Amino acid sequence: MGTPLSHARAILILSLVLLAAIVLAVAAGATPISWRAFFDGDATMRAIVLRIRLPRVIAGALIGATLAVAGVTFQTLLRNPLADPFILGVSGGAACGAAVASAFGLARVPGLVPVIAFAGACGATAAVFLLARRRGRSDATRLLLSGLVLNALFSALILIAFGLAPANDVNAALRWMIGTLSGATWNDALLLAVLFVAAMIVLVFIANDLRLLVFGEDDARARGVDVERIKLLGFGAASIITGAAVAVAGIIGFVGLLVPHLVRMMWRRDFRFLLPLCALAGGSLLVVSDLVSRVVIAPVELPVGAFTAILGVPFFLSVLRRER
Amino acid sequence: MRLDVDNVSFAYAETSAVRDVSLSINGAGALVALAGPNGSGKSTLLKLIARVASPSRGEVRLDGKRTSDWPAKEYAKRVGYLPQDPDPAFPMRAIDVVVSGRAPFLRRFEFEKDSDYQHAEDALAMCDAVHLADRYLDEMSGGERKRVFLARVLAGSPQLVLLDEPFASLDVAHVQQVSSLLRGIVDRTGATIIFASHDLNWASAYSDRMLVMRDGALARDAAPRDVMREDVVRELFGYDARIVDGWLVPQRETTM
Repeated sequence: MGTPLSHARAILILSLVLLAAIVLAVAAGATPISWRAFFDGDATMRAIVLRIRLPRVIAGALIGATLAVAGVTFQTLLRNPLADPFILGVSGGAACGAAVASAFGLARVPGLVPVIAFAGACGATAAVFLLARRRGRSDATRLLLSGLVLNALFSALILIAFGLAPANDVNAALRWMIGTLSGATWNDALLLAVLFVAAMIVLVFIANDLRLLVFGEDDARARGVDVERIKLLGFGAASIITGAAVAVAGIIGFVGLLVPHLVRMMWRRDFRFLLPLCALAGGSLLVVSDLVSRVVIAPVELPVGAFTAILGVPFFLSVLRRER
Repeated sequence: MRLDVDNVSFAYAETSAVRDVSLSINGAGALVALAGPNGSGKSTLLKLIARVASPSRGEVRLDGKRTSDWPAKEYAKRVGYLPQDPDPAFPMRAIDVVVSGRAPFLRRFEFEKDSDYQHAEDALAMCDAVHLADRYLDEMSGGERKRVFLARVLAGSPQLVLLDEPFASLDVAHVQQVSSLLRGIVDRTGATIIFASHDLNWASAYSDRMLVMRDGALARDAAPRDVMREDVVRELFGYDARIVDGWLVPQRETTM
């Protein structure tokens, strides 16, 4: 374990797992799929597979990949194993935007909540960086503290918005805050795919410098790393894709925090190695979790965020136990 | 290798940490101690030389070229810096830590090559740490970790090595072990090592030249035997000490 060869093999294995998860998630669900009817051109079957399940599964894979990639990026940049993609206020800002929008009855305008949520996510991230910045630098502790206080402020605003909003709108906003992939469209999947690929290009581009930040910022500077630039690009890329993921599917917990740890426990390597593995593992976990959440008591759908934890925690614990 | 520090000052917010320091180090293979009490500006001066911070006034030059004029990676190939308590936030094997010292030599998308691992193994050998290669840092003693991080700095074959308090938190046996490693590195690689130490005895015992800092300024630049004198210590540090065989001994408690 730990040589580039086994890393390549890990990427191959996880790619196959993700592919299998996608196929399974498209095939299974409340309505059984008749593949014969599908290939014979049956309109209902084609609509279920191509218009409902496939975009949802693809969006799920991209969101899972996004959250895990953002998680490992945040953990590396902040040198903090407890960091997740939401720690710097992305989710709080998005939720606050969505809650305030529902308080003013704007949630009933189709497609508006994701836009406002995305704006909230971007605004919160920018605010955290401006608050943490001092003399041209923003160190990890100040970033974490700024994220913490902003998240507290957002929680307060969300509660006030819920106090003001009509009950129906509160329910819709709550569903969104718990996180759900239902209703994901091809447009969502396309948007997520474009942003995810762009972010991955940025992250791969800076990976050789970014991975050195685990030793501390001064140490990285002494190795010739332009630390502020790497932080701007790394946090920027991770925050924008997280904002998009939250806008589409709400706040899905666990993936962004524990997938990076799971991958790190199995392949103890640096950020460059973890990045593709996290993307594949995160995508697989969310696709399987979403599948379970919609079939376990079909046709009722349970919150997918709960199943990422229910499926992930036992796996995580078994790896933890097998460790050294 | 030639290092020039010209009238360098540095301030954190309103507190000045380094005040108008000038010094030159010329030639290869010297062990230079940067001594002085806690808070005298040793760490900050090392950071300024390491290009981790840039001076508010004055300039640092390596081989005649200002630090800011060097491409960052080229400077990093020549100058190795070891902060006081380096700690990768996640579990790492020693060999991975050491080979990361080759980072300035890698191209953008390049992974470490066999030759980089060879450098890392040579550096581990120089630090008596080959047996630690596959162990995890969090399973190691302080002395073992120190040697691994020293090897990490050496893996880049720097001409100038900057060590911040390499002896801090080590017991006497390990202090001696690390100090003889440093001497061996200077002899074998021709690198110049500047190490910060708040302990005058260690600073003087293990160096060829002592830079003594006080209140951010360079108070003395002399051979160890010219610093370890009772009158000099009184002048620099403001306390009476006895010096026995070149070692500073605390004064016996006097009745008030």
